[in-house]
Amino acid sequence: MKKKWVKALGVILAGVMAMGSLTACGGGDDKEASGDSAKSEVKIAIICDSAGQNDNGYNQSAVNGAKKAAEELGVEYKVVEPTNGVPQALESLAEDGYNVIFNLEYDFEALIQGTGGAQPIAEMYPDITFVCVNDNPNKDENGEVLHDNVISALFDVHQASYVAGALSVLVNENAETLFGTENYNFTPADNGGRALGFVGGTNSNGITVFSYGFIEGANHVAEELGVNYDYYAKYDAGFADSATGSTVAGTYYNQGANVIFSVAGSVGDGVAAKAKEEGKLMIHVDANKDAQQSGSILTSVLKNTEVPVYEITKAAVEGTIDEMDRVQNYTLASGATSITDMAEISKYIQEGGQEKWEEIKAYLADLESQIGDGTITVTNAQNGEEFDASACGNITIK
Amino acid sequence: MELLGNILYDTVYHSAPIILCAVGGMFAYKANVLNIALEGMMLNGAFVSVLTAYLTNNIWLAVLAALVTTLLWGLVFSFLGITCKGNVIVIGLGINLIVPAIAKFILKMMEMANINLSEMNVASFKINIPLIQDIPLVGQILSGHPPTTYLAFVAIVFFAVLMYKTRFGIYVRVVGENEDSAISLGIKTNRYKYAAVLIGALCCALAGIDLSLERLAMFTNDMTAGRGFIAIAAIYCGQGRPVPSALYAILFGVARSLAVNLSVYAGPAAGLFDTIPYIIMVTVLAVVSYVKFRGVKVRGFKLDQ
Repeated sequence: MKKKWVKALGVILAGVMAMGSLTACGGGDDKEASGDSAKSEVKIAIICDSAGQNDNGYNQSAVNGAKKAAEELGVEYKVVEPTNGVPQALESLAEDGYNVIFNLEYDFEALIQGTGGAQPIAEMYPDITFVCVNDNPNKDENGEVLHDNVISALFDVHQASYVAGALSVLVNENAETLFGTENYNFTPADNGGRALGFVGGTNSNGITVFSYGFIEGANHVAEELGVNYDYYAKYDAGFADSATGSTVAGTYYNQGANVIFSVAGSVGDGVAAKAKEEGKLMIHVDANKDAQQSGSILTSVLKNTEVPVYEITKAAVEGTIDEMDRVQNYTLASGATSITDMAEISKYIQEGGQEKWEEIKAYLADLESQIGDGTITVTNAQNGEEFDASACGNITIK
Repeated sequence: MELLGNILYDTVYHSAPIILCAVGGMFAYKANVLNIALEGMMLNGAFVSVLTAYLTNNIWLAVLAALVTTLLWGLVFSFLGITCKGNVIVIGLGINLIVPAIAKFILKMMEMANINLSEMNVASFKINIPLIQDIPLVGQILSGHPPTTYLAFVAIVFFAVLMYKTRFGIYVRVVGENEDSAISLGIKTNRYKYAAVLIGALCCALAGIDLSLERLAMFTNDMTAGRGFIAIAAIYCGQGRPVPSALYAILFGVARSLAVNLSVYAGPAAGLFDTIPYIIMVTVLAVVSYVKFRGVKVRGFKLDQ
């Protein structure tokens, strides 16, 4: 009798575990537009990357773009978190007749080149537009476009990082005026406080592009003010280990840095936790995460996938998608990348610092327009542009 | 000096969760039910503690919930692996997969990217020991850590005594080394195996609490980042002996700390320090296994051909 009971419990437990693992790799959401807006025939799909659709950032803003398109343009959209790999998701969505498929995951091989001797997916479904976000894999050795139905959407995050770099130096120089000393614990400038930190997930162009823009922006202001800054950087922090992020940040803060820029997913959350603990500041990335550690996050450098998703969908609805450039660069001016409006940190500016704060914001607005009209050019590592450290004489890269 | 102090402090920081997992997991290793679910159990401790603290704002409840739920995972593991005689590797793997999945699922339901305890300040968890905290270097090693970190180092001694100086420890080792003779002595072997696994679960829960609640006041997905597996490596390299295993765990802490701290001077190249423990691990395991099998003869012939 006891044996049977044991067996039954064993089966139940195993069953529960199997169920659990199934739910874990959940499928997708299928949302149809509500009836009141103009109904469109266009169906779009978004393939999320491993962070998932509620990442408060990259994926979520793409979903928001799709929602906006559904409300305003009446398209139907589907959000997919691939469980069997991106290629399979691409194929089954194409099979289901989605007109525009956005791929947020960094996996383009099967789409562009075809894997295992198979035909490239882009070639198999010539009537469907595929959008690669964050990279331009759709070119041959000579840089020619390979598939006419693939659009690459790139963000000019180096420009937003430039603004963030300028902001960091301005805030650092005026830290006491702006924030006071009661709740914050900034290292004074003459005690190593003229330093900035950078924590990156991997050493790749997608990450260094932020760092280089950040350095150049910081250098721009440092040069104007005639001051020198140290720059601490780690490019191999990974994306998951928030405890490591926290200790790396601790080291930089101990060295005197007052602002750290983190481009490393969850690791950045660890940096933010440390900033709160130390009474210093950090800059987050991808989405507006300013409220996550309110008062410790100076701003976030946004990569707003909402804009390309909406813009490209709009083109599809209007039938102009085939005339679009196959590489879409979303600049600071397009609103797809920028720093946040800093509403969250503004709450912590003390009485006597308001004037300075407005001054800084005005300075940044001016800087943004200078980047917009090309007066200032920023190195774009994503395009393979080389970063020239010697041009940033006021920043010492450690 | 400042740098050395930071390196020492971070060494303690990064060692503590691995030590806890290693000295706790070592009992299961000795009882011959290798618990590879240390990683999942640690993540469970991290997740449940922060989630409970977020929902109730009560730290004691958070610690309790983390301990209880992780013990439940320990029971699931033991039941399937010991009572049902399932393959412990497969069951452990299952737990390692299901725990992060549950965490992600709940975060998704709550529509959050991570859980952040904005009410709590991690500085309040730190114990600053008067007088000692002012001594350079020593102060950084001994003072300013959260309670569970201290517990980790106490655990090394405690479990060393438990394993070698008590009847319980001896029985656990007998069960692992020769189950048949243990049975012939009338020892209820399953009971000791259960206990060994549950000790590991309890320690993993504490390791998770240390990592998330006490150090960061936040939970992020997959935040254990392989520490459970590092602990298993530490157990193997120390061959299940508390002090060597703990030393090996500390070695990981030193390497991580060097990688983090020297990046200020060496830049990205400091990341190379992260590889040192793995190089040592492979070397140690290879040498140990070579020494062990050097003299072994099978049917009168030497093993190496």
